[in-house]
Amino acid sequence: MSVTQGSRAKVLDRIRSATASVAADAANLHELHAAIPRSYIRKGELSESAKIALLIERLRDYDADVVECKLEELPDTIAAMLSASGRHTFGAPSGLPAAWMPSGFDWKLDGGLTHEQIEVLDGVVTGASCAVADSGTIVLHHTPSEGRRVLTLLPDWHLCTLYADQVVETLPEYFARVQHPPALATWISGPSATADIEMTRIKGVHGPRHLNVILVHH
Amino acid sequence: MSHSVEHPILDPTLAAPFPKAALPVLRDPQLRKNVAHAIDVIQTKRGKLVAEKTDWQELRSAAADIRTHVLENLGAYLEQFEERCTAAGGHVHCASDADEARQIILDILREENASEVIKIKTMTSGEIQLNPFLQASGVGVFETDLAEIILQLGNEEPSHIVVPALHINRSQVREIFAKSMGRPELSDDPQALTEAARIYLRRKFLDIPSAISGANYLVAETGGVVIVESEGNGRMCLTLPKTLITLAGIEKVVPRFEDLEVMLQVLARSATGERMNPYTSLWSGVTPGDGPQNFHVVLLDNARSSILGKPRERQTLRCIRCAACINACPVYRQTGGHAYGSVYPGPIGAILTPQLMQMRHAQSLPYASSLCGACYEVCPVKINIPEILIDLRAQVIDQQRHNIGRFFDPLYLGLRIAGFLFSRAFLFHAAQRLGRVGAGLFTHKDGWIHSMPSVGGKWTQTRDLRGFPNQTFREWWQNRPARSSTQIAKEPK
Repeated sequence: MSVTQGSRAKVLDRIRSATASVAADAANLHELHAAIPRSYIRKGELSESAKIALLIERLRDYDADVVECKLEELPDTIAAMLSASGRHTFGAPSGLPAAWMPSGFDWKLDGGLTHEQIEVLDGVVTGASCAVADSGTIVLHHTPSEGRRVLTLLPDWHLCTLYADQVVETLPEYFARVQHPPALATWISGPSATADIEMTRIKGVHGPRHLNVILVHH
Repeated sequence: MSHSVEHPILDPTLAAPFPKAALPVLRDPQLRKNVAHAIDVIQTKRGKLVAEKTDWQELRSAAADIRTHVLENLGAYLEQFEERCTAAGGHVHCASDADEARQIILDILREENASEVIKIKTMTSGEIQLNPFLQASGVGVFETDLAEIILQLGNEEPSHIVVPALHINRSQVREIFAKSMGRPELSDDPQALTEAARIYLRRKFLDIPSAISGANYLVAETGGVVIVESEGNGRMCLTLPKTLITLAGIEKVVPRFEDLEVMLQVLARSATGERMNPYTSLWSGVTPGDGPQNFHVVLLDNARSSILGKPRERQTLRCIRCAACINACPVYRQTGGHAYGSVYPGPIGAILTPQLMQMRHAQSLPYASSLCGACYEVCPVKINIPEILIDLRAQVIDQQRHNIGRFFDPLYLGLRIAGFLFSRAFLFHAAQRLGRVGAGLFTHKDGWIHSMPSVGGKWTQTRDLRGFPNQTFREWWQNRPARSSTQIAKEPK
């Protein structure tokens, strides 16, 4: 490879000698890290219903559309939201449950769709891994029902289905739930936005401009 | 664009000293209005959302502790990051300075035969002046953050690290876009201008196969990289291209995935006054079928290791680039960012830039502060900026004292003479009497000295000085009417 090899040894040497008097033994590192005081709020105190209400309030604050339904109403609710959007061609991640793809619409199941094919979709329907009520955050770990990253990026309209038991109150509760850190993750807090011109918040720059959430109660 | 007379220079080796570089802004009411407006909006939002967070101080403490722990053990954590990122399919490079980092990045792009590259906003690339280097080497660079597009198309310079174009108002943006995008019909409505940027960049995202990003955090435990953003241009650059190059300062590491529960909470609130920024992306190396399959991380030292070696200055490297100190700074509010002569303005720039320059340039920056401490109070990782400013001032003075050309400088000559006189009482009293006569020549009828010649002018340039009193305290004490101790005891309290 013709790429400049860089100065790995030189840089690491400088770092080691700069920190020689303070660096811990590698064996103690884990223990020292675990000893960092964490007196911030880790666990929420809201009731189930208050937690869901907070999530919905936060999502609406970000201009997301949120509807609630029971598990058995989910397919009809999805169909109603797709119809109401006035859109027709929707992308679906490879692992999206068949019941979430109502008939009457043109479905493109992702099995290696090209960027150009995804770019012309009217919207996309996915699941999610978790949601954080306190910050109105939807977390995607890009599992088969959540799709590749590009699938929830190029289409302008995103419908995300979320089960009530996937909702946590605080961000630390989400991290406590994750057993193995994901290789890929996207935390979404409202649709794409900017405030770069005179600090005026404008919805929708490059990511999906419309975020829709169905909250499913068991 | 004609709002600033001189084009600002953000290269610390070439920039004018702060007091001189600040003048164009101080003389430009439009620019000052733009800066003040933006700062007011962010400060109001931040204040509201920080007040809402009942565990804010606990979060700050944890964030500071995590960053301190990383810096003290940076070697071990960097090696862990390197090992995990490589295992996940990434290539990790180390650059000891800006030159080397630029060359590594260019080599990777040449390997890919890249003639164009899209970029996510990264201050680190500004630090190493990557764009002009790539352009000169024949690689077309396209910034994709809205503010960065405004700057690139308008041939402007960033004046803030989070909202780099805050000094440019909507009609100025309209002017830039209308001209450079060939769209004279464009209105100055921010919605329309944002839409214009979306259209301008859409094809570039889909067509250009190489991208460059910075990094908000490197996760040692997983070899993952985290990018925090609002617009989605970041996600585009991280997802669509075939090749991705991430340029990150060596200090950007956090030990574990779960540390993000602290870092993400403090960053968004401090930076933009949001509960959470719209998009945060995490990726580790290469994922088959999803995103760039050729991924490189360039770890940049560029004097960071020398900052790391100084116990007091080390805390500078805790910085997570949120700009809370910039927004809180009364000096920045008046001067804007260009006066700092670096891509890092405000209080953090005043301590970071001279240190990145190893105190060889930007020596005026440690003085670009009133030491009011507002920056320390808002810093989410508790960097004691005033303490470092004072320490850097001492270093600047030491440097100047050792500089032989400064031996006969009136200031140092004066201070040496004062040191000699003030350590001997009889000379001190003589100097006081002489000073009273001398200062009398410059004292106006109102009792104030408004201007002094030579080195004294450095003081009177910006503030008046009280004239000498007619007698010193000692003289008054000796000449006071004699009273007995019983008299004093009888006086009402």
